[in-house]
This record gives sequence, C-alpha cells and structure tokens, in this order.
Amino acid sequence: MTEQDTVVLTKEAGAPADPAVRRRSRSALARSAARDRSLVVLIGLVLLAAGVLVALLSYGVFGVPRASRPLLDPMIVDALRAQPLAARITAIVVGALLALLGLLWAAGSVRPERRPDLVLEAGAETSIVVSSGAAADAVATEARRLPGVAKARARLVGPATAPALRVTLWLADDADVAQVLRRFDDEVLGTARESLGITTLPVGVLLDLDAPTRAPRVT
Amino acid sequence: MRVLLRVLAPLLGLALAAAGVLFVIEVVAAWVRPVATAGLVVPWPQWRTTLEQLSWDENPVPGIAIAVAVLGLLLVLVGLLARRSNIQLDAPNPELAVRTSPRVLARLVGTRVRAGEDVAAATVTASARKVSVAAQSWNGGADGLRSSIHDTVEALLDELPLHRRPRVSVTVRDREGVR
Repeated sequence: MTEQDTVVLTKEAGAPADPAVRRRSRSALARSAARDRSLVVLIGLVLLAAGVLVALLSYGVFGVPRASRPLLDPMIVDALRAQPLAARITAIVVGALLALLGLLWAAGSVRPERRPDLVLEAGAETSIVVSSGAAADAVATEARRLPGVAKARARLVGPATAPALRVTLWLADDADVAQVLRRFDDEVLGTARESLGITTLPVGVLLDLDAPTRAPRVT
Repeated sequence: MRVLLRVLAPLLGLALAAAGVLFVIEVVAAWVRPVATAGLVVPWPQWRTTLEQLSWDENPVPGIAIAVAVLGLLLVLVGLLARRSNIQLDAPNPELAVRTSPRVLARLVGTRVRAGEDVAAATVTASARKVSVAAQSWNGGADGLRSSIHDTVEALLDELPLHRRPRVSVTVRDREGVR
C-alpha cells in the first residue's frame, strides 16, 4: 500500500458523523461490562474501607477505651431495643433491597446478549422483519469472500430499536488491513445497506489473525 | 481479568441476594416468635453471645479486618483492570469502529521481523502505545540489524491504519554459534 492511501483513509475517518451512530458502533464491539465493573469496584471499596477502619479501631488508633468495648456494643443494642418497630422494618427493607438488587445483578450478568431482528418496515397490518441470524449470516458470508479474509463471523447486537452489527474478521497473515477494511465497507456493508434499505447500520469490527499455517518440518 | 469479572459478578450478586434473604427470614422469624431461643436458619443467638464477649482489640478481630481489606483491594483491582486493552484502528467510514488486540499487532510485527535475513529470533510485545522488539542477530552485526528492524517495523506501522501510532523500541543481542 502506498503512503497516499493511508492519508486518504485518515481523512475520511475524520469526516463528521452522528455521535450517536459512532457510540453505537463502538458499543457493538463487545458486550459492555461497565455495570459489573462498577459494582465490583463499589463492593471492593466498601470492604476495603470497613476492613481498614476496623483494623485501625482494633489497634487502638481511635483510643484504647473504644477498642476494648465489645463488638456487639450494649449501647447500640439498647438504642435498637428502644425503637423495636422502626429497627425491624428498617432491617426487613434493607434485607429485601439487598436480595432484589443481588438477584437483578446476577440475572443481568448471566443473561445472554440480545440478538435483535432488523425491522425494515413496521406497518399496522404487515411488517417486514429480517431475522437476526439471516442478516448476520449474509454479512459474514459476503465478508469471507474478500481477499485476505480467512474467516468471518457476524451477529446483531444492541436494543431492538437501535441494532448494530458486530463482525469479527480473521485475516490472513499477508492481508492488507486497510484495503480489507475499505472493501468490507464498500462491498459487504454497502450491499447490505442497499439490499436491506437502511441508511445507517453501525458496525463494530474486531480484527484477528487466522491460525498460523505451519510449514512442514520435512519437505 | 475480564473472565474473572464475568465469573465473579454473578457470584457476588447471588451472595448479596442470599445474605438479604437470610437477613429478612431471621428478622421476621424473631419478630413473630419472640420467645424462641434458636435462629430459624442461621444460629444467630450463638453468634450474638460470641460478639458480646469479644472486644475490638482481641484476636481474631484485626486479622479478619485485614483479610477483609485485602479482599476489598483485590475486588477493586479486578474491577479496574478488567478493561479492554484493544487497539483502535481508523475506519474508512465513521459508521465503523475497528479494533484489534495487542496480540494481533505483536504477531504481525513478529512475522515481519522474523522474515528478515539476519534475524535469528525475535520476541515482540505490543500495546496501543508501544511496540518492543527483542531480537537476536547471527554472529555480530547487531548494530546494523537494530536500525533495519526499526525501519521494518515503522514500514509495517505505515501500512496499518492505526489510530495512534505506537512508539517502536528495538533491542538486539548477538547469538553465538553456527548458523
């Protein structure tokens, strides 16, 4: 590839685009782990803070008399006993919230990713829908025909109202990456947009290399 | 780290849910049968006696507190390190987002470098910011090889539409022996 190609490519990539479409194509690259990550960090911080505070208390940093009080302080027990109804209701609400949030989190993180169908025309009586698998298979089959692409896999991701395509291309070792991407956009995605009649289809492309073919040890 | 997060997240969620359910069960049970001396599922009256007799400065309180703090630190690290380390490439169309893994870049660089005539062996580490090549040359010639490998890698980076051009660092040492 020549230097000129690279320059042209970079210029085109800098063209103005709808930020929402850019965001959709970026988030199509992989399943988001943002919620799992932030919750794990939050729980970690709570445990870290509690552990450090108790250790400091235990070593007498907050005063020796305080450190020698029992873990279940009679002062706190008396305070709870003074307001039994409020204490019980608070305890039940906290427990129920904990159970609900925990279940929602666990269910959300093990739930398989959505594969939305492409709705081309939604009328009152008839609607034209391309199933998620059919649309993705068509793109993957076309992508496999490109020179330099050894394998390709595609699937639709995202909410049904804003579907996006996730494509993994396994390239041959000698593939011209820029050219593969250009032809993928022109030929494969161009055809898909045209035949499906949609103007925007955000796509996240993951590039990988095909398994190396080992030369025979004896020739 | 990402795999660990995927395993840990539902387990932590279930643990939280289980703790919440047990808590509600015990509170309700203690409310409706005030005279009972044992817990329904959890033996909390025994725990209560232990907690009443144990003070903050006694063992094993500091040990457990340190263990909890370390566990919390590990969770924070897992959460922070489980980010994608993908390398961004420039796409021909703004509707496209193209990424690849550092492993792929390292393999591309490695294949190109090892194809060089005077290279005996090469190890490549790649990230979005830096590509490091550690090569071995045959019987001297390390000085010339260093710049030639550097040029090879730079030429490869010219071909790839990388969004951010990584720095290239090359180290070469001699390998003694019969070629």
